[in-house]
Amino acid sequence: MSERVRGVKKEQRWSGLSVSDGVVVGHVLRIHTGARQVYRTSLNETDVAKELRRFRAAVRLARRQLLAVKARAEKELGADHAYIFDAHLLMLEDRKLLDEVEECIRVERANAEWAVKVVSDRFLSVYSEIKDDYLRERGSDIEDVVQRLLVALSGERPGYRQLTEDAVIVAEDLLPSAMAELDLAHARAIATDAGGWTSHMAIIARGLGIPAVVGLRDLYRRARTGDMIVVDALRGEILLHPSQQTIESYQKLATSEELARVAPTDEGRGSLRTLDGVEITLRANVELPAEYEGVRKFGARGIGLYRSEFLMTQRGVMPSEDEQYEAYLEVAELAGEDGATVRLFDLGGDKMGGLALENERNPALGLRAIRFSLVHEEVLRSQARAVLRAAAKGRLDIVLPMISDITDVRRARRIIDEEREALLKEGHEIGPMRIGAMIEVPSAVWIADSLAREVDFFSLGTNDLVQYLLAVDRGNDEVAGWFRSLHPAVLESISHTIEAARKASIPAVVCGEMAATPTYAVLLVGLGATILSMIPASIPRVRRTIAAINYRDAEAIARASLACESADEVEELVRLRFSAGWPHLFPPETLPAPKLRE
Amino acid sequence: MVEERVRIINRLGLHARAAAQLVKTANGYQSMLRLERLDGSATADAKSILSVLMLAASRGTELLLAADGADEKEAVRALCELFACGFGEAEP
Repeated sequence: MSERVRGVKKEQRWSGLSVSDGVVVGHVLRIHTGARQVYRTSLNETDVAKELRRFRAAVRLARRQLLAVKARAEKELGADHAYIFDAHLLMLEDRKLLDEVEECIRVERANAEWAVKVVSDRFLSVYSEIKDDYLRERGSDIEDVVQRLLVALSGERPGYRQLTEDAVIVAEDLLPSAMAELDLAHARAIATDAGGWTSHMAIIARGLGIPAVVGLRDLYRRARTGDMIVVDALRGEILLHPSQQTIESYQKLATSEELARVAPTDEGRGSLRTLDGVEITLRANVELPAEYEGVRKFGARGIGLYRSEFLMTQRGVMPSEDEQYEAYLEVAELAGEDGATVRLFDLGGDKMGGLALENERNPALGLRAIRFSLVHEEVLRSQARAVLRAAAKGRLDIVLPMISDITDVRRARRIIDEEREALLKEGHEIGPMRIGAMIEVPSAVWIADSLAREVDFFSLGTNDLVQYLLAVDRGNDEVAGWFRSLHPAVLESISHTIEAARKASIPAVVCGEMAATPTYAVLLVGLGATILSMIPASIPRVRRTIAAINYRDAEAIARASLACESADEVEELVRLRFSAGWPHLFPPETLPAPKLRE
Repeated sequence: MVEERVRIINRLGLHARAAAQLVKTANGYQSMLRLERLDGSATADAKSILSVLMLAASRGTELLLAADGADEKEAVRALCELFACGFGEAEP
């Protein structure tokens, strides 16, 4: 180990997909979530009874752990994320599993580990032949339970309890139960071989502001617990065995990063202005209850985007109107007088946990978001009713996702108005509720002027806008190189949309991830954005940056970027102008990397 | 012995959450409860989640529910209700 620390091991670099921003230098803590090696030993006749007792004790231990995990998940992630542990508990109680394992121990005199492995492999092989993708994937639940049983049998405590202050978690993948069990207060960063933007782990990491990079292929195999590691989630890079020089340069960056993440002091909560006095409002994007805490902690001015589809359990249960009402009320209370914007269910495609609704060929372009709500009108009606009722007690607006045609807005508005009337007739109290449109489809950008006359505000969803504008699937590693947030067409679309809103005197909120990255946030401000909404943990960092710049300078750079011909050119411009104008705010590591010339 | 035909109407089929609900309900009855695919290709003990999951019953699958025991009628009624309401899931 000491040899590695002295730098004998060569620095190694991995590129992956950053799913939660930040930079951390720390030590690896490997968490085993994949298959354990299991060996067979033969028991003496006399040991069989003892082995059966050992097995039953392990089942009881695993059960206690699961009950604790479930309680914790319910508290921190909401009941919607906890239900899966009911299934895990039932598996642990399953007579079919228990009886077969016990029989294997008795008849074949196998050790309990081996018996568990043999029996579960039998189940899993049946599973792997299931034709339905979704159902087949449930095999991972059985694996999760089997791993837990094997750990319980080994007498080890689940290893991840011993998180030290600077633990960087390295794993093949983090299953929901492992994630719920981790003491995330001590996790500095997460790096996994598998996973994607919408994986359970990624959502939680973003919510808690823990930097995370996924898609690192073989990092887990190469890293050892205790190894030095740099997680640079700003660039989606991992450096294992970093050299002393690398460590120092990153430590500086990590410290400034961390400083920027510190909760704001009281004066950090007032209104935010650029040096030359332009007021900028920072709001919060939230989805999970686990993120609610951050809204106040990081000084957000209300909730700019509440992703309501997360009210559905991950696996597609539609909450009732009353359940929704309760949830929206909670969100409104959390947001306080600054209010909250509820995005109508953005269902379909990737948001259904990787499931296409009816095996759509092209789910991103399919029946999703507002289209889904218009086809399944009852969904829209109950959601509108719930928000309208909650708006009587707090400030709530709604925003219609994936608007591509003005007719979508008109149809949705008519249905919402009908429900407003109905509620009044039924004697319900309702509140004022503004209706906005998400601008995330290129056609909406083109008709932004007329849309602006029909809605009360715009919300610019930059993630989807980039995806649809550049025709790049953000979840597909193969085309990651084409996903360019700084493409001139993206900047032009943002600029045009903000201008259309300004002309119609309606607010425009930028609520994609671009807003959460200081470099992009400055450009957005330069393009005329005055309201940015982001994950709460990013607010202090963006706030600090914006408070230290002149709007005039940002505008000049933004204007120059609109004249560029390619994303490369914009990145080069940003790199040069930001490092020249604000070297203290943007050390080289935070800026787009220079292009290698061939 | 009571038999009843049921049909999976919820979109995700008998996945973990739905199966958990089914098994929990089934375990509340003394009767032996069996689910069988109509084509006879697979049968499951409704009180075992692993067994139920292995039916791999996706949306549209038809199953034969058979109950045998003292509370067979009540058990069948309760389970049929679960199937009929799509396990309480959204029905797009």
